[in-house]
Amino acid sequence: MTRRVYLDHNASTPVHPDVVAEMLPYFGERFGNPSSVHGFGREARAGVDLARERIARFLKVPLDEVVFTSGGTESDNMALKGLAFARGKGHLITSKIEHHAVLRAAQWLETQGFTVTYVGVDEHGMVDPDEVKRAIRPDTIGISIMHANSEAGTIQPVAAIGALARERGIPFHVDAVQTFGKLDFDVNACGIDLLSFSAHKIYGPKGVAGFWIRKGVKLQAVQHGGEHERRRRAGTENVPAIVGFGKAVEIRARDMKAEHERLTALRDRLWESIRARVPDVRLNGHPTERLPGTANLSYRGVESESIVLGLDLKGIGVSAGSACTAGSVEPSYVLVAMGLPLDWAMGAVRHSLGRSTTAEDIDYVIESVEPIVRKLRAAMPVGA
Amino acid sequence: MRYSPTLLDHFLNPRNAGLMREPDGTGVDEYEGCGDLARFFLRVRDGRVSEVRFQTYGCGPTIAAASAASERVVGRPVEELLNLKAQEVEDAVEGLPEDRKHAADVVAGALRAAALDALRRREGVA
Repeated sequence: MTRRVYLDHNASTPVHPDVVAEMLPYFGERFGNPSSVHGFGREARAGVDLARERIARFLKVPLDEVVFTSGGTESDNMALKGLAFARGKGHLITSKIEHHAVLRAAQWLETQGFTVTYVGVDEHGMVDPDEVKRAIRPDTIGISIMHANSEAGTIQPVAAIGALARERGIPFHVDAVQTFGKLDFDVNACGIDLLSFSAHKIYGPKGVAGFWIRKGVKLQAVQHGGEHERRRRAGTENVPAIVGFGKAVEIRARDMKAEHERLTALRDRLWESIRARVPDVRLNGHPTERLPGTANLSYRGVESESIVLGLDLKGIGVSAGSACTAGSVEPSYVLVAMGLPLDWAMGAVRHSLGRSTTAEDIDYVIESVEPIVRKLRAAMPVGA
Repeated sequence: MRYSPTLLDHFLNPRNAGLMREPDGTGVDEYEGCGDLARFFLRVRDGRVSEVRFQTYGCGPTIAAASAASERVVGRPVEELLNLKAQEVEDAVEGLPEDRKHAADVVAGALRAAALDALRRREGVA
């Protein structure tokens, strides 16, 4: 059987077995609706409460400021639309490399009469706090900058941007889906007011995420219905998933630091070894200020989907930086915003490492990449 | 599986990939908006294709389609290739998903262009 190596942890992660074990009773014996007054409901409520407590403790924030949602996309939508509609009109600042959950929400708000400034990034994918500062206007009602980008992995200077926002009393939202449970950060020290974070990127289940709202920040609820989540997010709680999320966070609190160091070393080994073996390859993203497990590499002149397919046939799961769908090619908007020339952007491949990644896995990937790229280049027109 | 075993085999081990010195005909086709490109080189003996080489830039199916098509055209009259259909190329890789049909288009287009070039050169000489 072919060896299988999963290097797409920025897309999703396998649920930790301890998380599964903690979730299971909530599908069966503790199935109740947390809003019910009776014992069945109270059991389910206890599970949700424990998860909230674990997450609040991890973030060092008050319990009642943590809200559960259905995913990072919902949290991001709550942030942007919630800020905008609580104020009725005004200007928002975000960046060109945000997740589509932020970008498309911002673009939609533009159709509703709000104005948005999209700040750019430098060659490493880094937002310049000075550019954010220059974009601030008297009517700016919110700033939304992601903590780290999923493709390039560059970690943004959120503390500097948070300080600017705080100085001017502008609410600051951070999409921390790629950093929560991976990097140690303090929402208070960073001047953050709203935080989006997800479970399935940190070995929790899909379909559940978190949203932290600092007390006092005015936010319009996006979803209307019952009185759940202190009227911030209507809908019966996804109890088993929330329970699993809490457990996943508890495990991250324990393992995060050691894994950070281990993955950084493996990530650098991957890049250094491929660089030594394959010509015309570059690393996209910041050389040091980058997610511990993320290595986005571009092979010049080779089409990334071909490399992904070649590696897939060797049992390796990575993701393509450009996508060719229905005959139209889409280089990554993130890499384009970083100013990467098209012939490099088209050959981008993201490797994202995780808990299960071993040194042997990395060596297997290194060995596999070189012949694939060599063969692809042999079939490639010179200068195409 | 998204791709047929035949397609994957051609992708992993492309036949006839590379350049040709002094070909009797060359042809290029590019898929607009996608950047996929195929270039074919033909050697012609007695009106038939005796040797073929190709180069491609594109996703896996384009490389596989070029390789599979290259095997199919050897020995055939050049005139016949003027009418080469994308469907034949697609059949050579045992089918393509809907969003990768252009791989066959670009390969068939480049082969037709190479055949036309070979015929024009022959007429030019005569």
